[in-house]
Amino acid sequence: MKFRTFAAFVGPSIFLMVLFIAAPLVTVFLQSFQLNQPIVERVEVETCTPGFPAQKCVTEVKTQPLLDENGNVRTTSTWVGFESYANVLQLDRVAEAISDGRPGRILTIDFWKALRFTLTFTLVTLPLVIGVGLAIALAVNNLTRALRGQIIFVSLLPFIITPVIGALSIRWLFIGDGILTSLLESWLDRDISMFAQGWTIEAMMLFYRVWHVAPFAFVVFYAGLQTVNQDTLESAIIDGASRWERLRYVIIPHLMPLIVFIALIHLMDAYRAFEEVVGFSSQAHRITLQWLTYDYLTPDDSGNRSISRASASAMLTMVGIVILLIPLLRRSWRDHRGG
Amino acid sequence: MKLKTLAIGVALSLMSSGAYAACSFENTTPIKSLSAGFEAWKSVTDAMAECGNFEAELDQEFRTKQPSALAANPALYQIGGVSNGTVTPLLNEGLIRPLDDLIAEHGQGLSENQMIKIDGKTMAVAMMVNTQHLMYRKDIFDEVGIEVPKTWDEVIAAAQKIEEAGVVEYPLGATMKSGWNLAQDFNNMFLGYGGSFVNDDSTPNVNSEVGVKALETMKKLTQFMDPEYLVSDSTYVQQQFQQGKIAMANLWASRAGAMDDESESQVVGKVHAAAAPLAMEGGAPATTLWWDGMVIAKNITDEEAEAAMKLIVEGLDTEMVKANNDDAIWLIPGYEPSRLAEGAIATVNASPAPASYPSTSQMGLMHTALGNELPAFFTGERDAKATLEAVEAAYVTAAKEAGVLE
Amino acid sequence: MVTPKALRQPMSLRFGSAAFLAAWCFIAAFPIFWIAVMSFKTPVDAFAANPLDVVFGPETRARGNGLSVIDILAGLAMLFLAARLAMRWLPRMVARYSPPGLSVVGWIIGSLAFGIGFIVVFFVILPPILDVVNGMTGPLGAPVIGLTAEHYEAVWVENDFWRNFVNSLIVTTGVVTVSLTVGTLAGYGLARSGSTLAFWILIVALIFRALPHSVLVAGYLPVFINSAEMLRPILGENAPTLYGQPLAVIAVLVSINQPFTIWMLRSFFQNIPAELDEAARVDGCTHFQAFRWVIMPVMWPGVITTGLFSFLLAYNDFLVTSLLLDAQNQTMVPAIAGYFNRETTTTDQVEAVAAAVSITAPLFLLVMVFQRQIVSGLTAGAVKG
Repeated sequence: MKFRTFAAFVGPSIFLMVLFIAAPLVTVFLQSFQLNQPIVERVEVETCTPGFPAQKCVTEVKTQPLLDENGNVRTTSTWVGFESYANVLQLDRVAEAISDGRPGRILTIDFWKALRFTLTFTLVTLPLVIGVGLAIALAVNNLTRALRGQIIFVSLLPFIITPVIGALSIRWLFIGDGILTSLLESWLDRDISMFAQGWTIEAMMLFYRVWHVAPFAFVVFYAGLQTVNQDTLESAIIDGASRWERLRYVIIPHLMPLIVFIALIHLMDAYRAFEEVVGFSSQAHRITLQWLTYDYLTPDDSGNRSISRASASAMLTMVGIVILLIPLLRRSWRDHRGG
Repeated sequence: MKLKTLAIGVALSLMSSGAYAACSFENTTPIKSLSAGFEAWKSVTDAMAECGNFEAELDQEFRTKQPSALAANPALYQIGGVSNGTVTPLLNEGLIRPLDDLIAEHGQGLSENQMIKIDGKTMAVAMMVNTQHLMYRKDIFDEVGIEVPKTWDEVIAAAQKIEEAGVVEYPLGATMKSGWNLAQDFNNMFLGYGGSFVNDDSTPNVNSEVGVKALETMKKLTQFMDPEYLVSDSTYVQQQFQQGKIAMANLWASRAGAMDDESESQVVGKVHAAAAPLAMEGGAPATTLWWDGMVIAKNITDEEAEAAMKLIVEGLDTEMVKANNDDAIWLIPGYEPSRLAEGAIATVNASPAPASYPSTSQMGLMHTALGNELPAFFTGERDAKATLEAVEAAYVTAAKEAGVLE
Repeated sequence: MVTPKALRQPMSLRFGSAAFLAAWCFIAAFPIFWIAVMSFKTPVDAFAANPLDVVFGPETRARGNGLSVIDILAGLAMLFLAARLAMRWLPRMVARYSPPGLSVVGWIIGSLAFGIGFIVVFFVILPPILDVVNGMTGPLGAPVIGLTAEHYEAVWVENDFWRNFVNSLIVTTGVVTVSLTVGTLAGYGLARSGSTLAFWILIVALIFRALPHSVLVAGYLPVFINSAEMLRPILGENAPTLYGQPLAVIAVLVSINQPFTIWMLRSFFQNIPAELDEAARVDGCTHFQAFRWVIMPVMWPGVITTGLFSFLLAYNDFLVTSLLLDAQNQTMVPAIAGYFNRETTTTDQVEAVAAAVSITAPLFLLVMVFQRQIVSGLTAGAVKG
């Protein structure tokens, strides 16, 4: 294929990605090294607010940004190098915690707390998603044809449902005296509060993610099972391979590219987990990296937002995901060179 | 099967759209507003929409959108709905206009009490006040034989008695969801003990004896609560009340109406309200005062501003209040306080009175820092001193980034 | 065909696998089933601690809303019939009546007609008939399960949720169409070009896919709001404000979804033998002609599957739509999230549940109809890593 034809085919797609992903990404990259601040002045302001029966007035010294002649806020922007990264990573506190001999303290710093949970979340759900997905696929493949349609339909439900709603539907089963909590309480005969401590919330978040993504793995694996080479299977049977050996030496190798595909997608999605934190209100106990970025970006009542730290934390998230993906990317590179 | 009502409803709504109800004039300039989405806003914007050519956006992302949408030229919205917290960025960036001339011309129906004056200029028109105050189950209090507590120490004693009596699942409820809510509860207590959040030079001042006292009192209270208090927001506490699971809580006045809502509540008529408790003798009630109101954008034509003002006056008239009396503690003439409004009024009239929520850039940063760092104290990861140190460190980082601290 | 003896499974294995599937189906469906039950109850019942109270809804029944045994049986029969129709009859009708090569259009019209027909029969025709039957049958016609549609009524009628539905429809249709058009071309180009450039484009796309969306989205907001001012020097007075425009959101969602789309479609096209279009090229076709006449007729299974994923992304998106759309153009998911702001009441929450169930219904229908296409599309190689 000539380069011009290739460019014509790929052009529109590249254009969209450059405009809406690459360009913002460059801005984020630059902002993570920059600090945009308003020039402020301190002025005495009298504020009168409602009261019963009459208004109350207070005079306070307030910090206000200076406005230029067009009424815009005057800002300065300075290059600060890695300062925003340092503010996110808080390496001095990490060093302090280590030298104090209490490395557990590191996990009270937002970024490290988020990193710890995000990594656990990603790496624990990964084998579960693949395992559960594969198990369902094998079981469905084992079923009489008449029932398969209905089972596939039911199995796909957790995947298609809107994530926020899926998370809430599980939250309502457990929060306060939710019906499942009540059930557990009457069964174990003790008072249970699923949202009162970190590990139960973590377990629910892991469960939700597996519940939500396993159907996707299932349907991909199920499709893969339809193309297993019957000749190879039959010759394996003739060779006297047991059911387990056939699974291990014929089916799994056949599904390997799909397993890599699911792993890739899942690593990326789980690493930027966000809905779980919102859906389960786990901020007090568990936060993820994307939630941290989002939190920096959300303005408080006075309109402050930490753009620089958000950019730095976003870049760090990206570096993390690239590191996680490297083994899989190297495999793709070898395939590309080989193929 | 009553599903047919659904079908009939669809048909009816298709027929009745486009009908204009009572409005004293017909609005011809297209006006849009952007505000939060709670019940009082629905009532007010519905009343404004009766005049025609008015579109209201009740958007929960308004906090993010409002500053940039009003900064555009021309502004995307002519009217903004604000509270004493969210008006700060609009004031700071000079995005809203003084309303004195417009009020002089069109605002005859507004009372002096509604004018939010900054350095003598009216910048916003308030419509309602809100505050957190004590709500309690009168029937339980009578049964156990306790007086309405006036201070937090009395609250703890009362909670102790209620727990011993075993009449309710948890004696106390609190809006302590980590983040904004938890920080707000700390603010109440901290101010109740007479603390001040920042020094005159913008350096933080929460890591003090007052801060530790506030945290310790809160910790004492948590033992009488549902252990899931770190996820309980106002709606959750309201539900706990409605389902009869708690006996008292320091809850927002705007939630009071829901206690008597027969379709949701199992405790109709049993919940009463009182002033917010004091943290220390002789102090102000441990709470803050809030108002909600409307502002008019600067980057619009004078004609639009005039139309916007006329709509605001129409939306905040006595007729609207009469129709929606229990939606809020209205500041508008014609409002008749109900049984449940007594708590808010007693709080506001206390002497010394609680302060308005201190809305400054520094306070915004402090609120965020508190919201992020305090949970570690309640989960037991850190003690009070270390937590407050972490709050100050987080505040300093953010304040330097925002340029309010050198 | 007789199953060879070696392939026949021992009883224990068959039983084990069936039991596992049953357990999985229960876990998969239960939370969704449960919110559907909650959405039909008064707030007191919906959040009751005792599951039986939630199912039977005493409070709801006490207020005179309920279902009798006959209602339940009739409703279940209708649902079963509808499911069967969707899986058996609908595909056949579509296959028969849609013009060749345009089966997608046939499917869209077919599913819409089916959905509307279902709503009319289930909610308009059935209730009055059952009211009469209930009146005649005495005790069997008395309500046993409390059930009320008031929240659905509140959501769809009072809160104008249909507007959000229409907006969702616009955004999703736009995203699926544009995404597939752009993505198919790019996927084909990438599959047929073995160059290192193509490889690196794919890798960069993969990294783009891994980006946290909240970062990108926050970057769009100020630009979108001020776009009229920024574009005025170029476009003059017609410069649009992009904020609130469904078209702008469509562009954003398409771009965010492009990496996944081109990866899926590339591997799908790689499985279509290159000899096919090479033969066409030998006959004198250009690449575009070969694509149009040789590839397009055989690409539908992969495109439908990819399209379904685009649909899910656009339909379920929250971050982008909540920030970049104004109230007039708000889609359904952010509208539901609006029920959960700081000032929600319990009734609002049940209404949110009703809204949530409502927006899940079209997804149900979609999967019911396209289930076979998903599997066959994936089987045909839309995912090969």
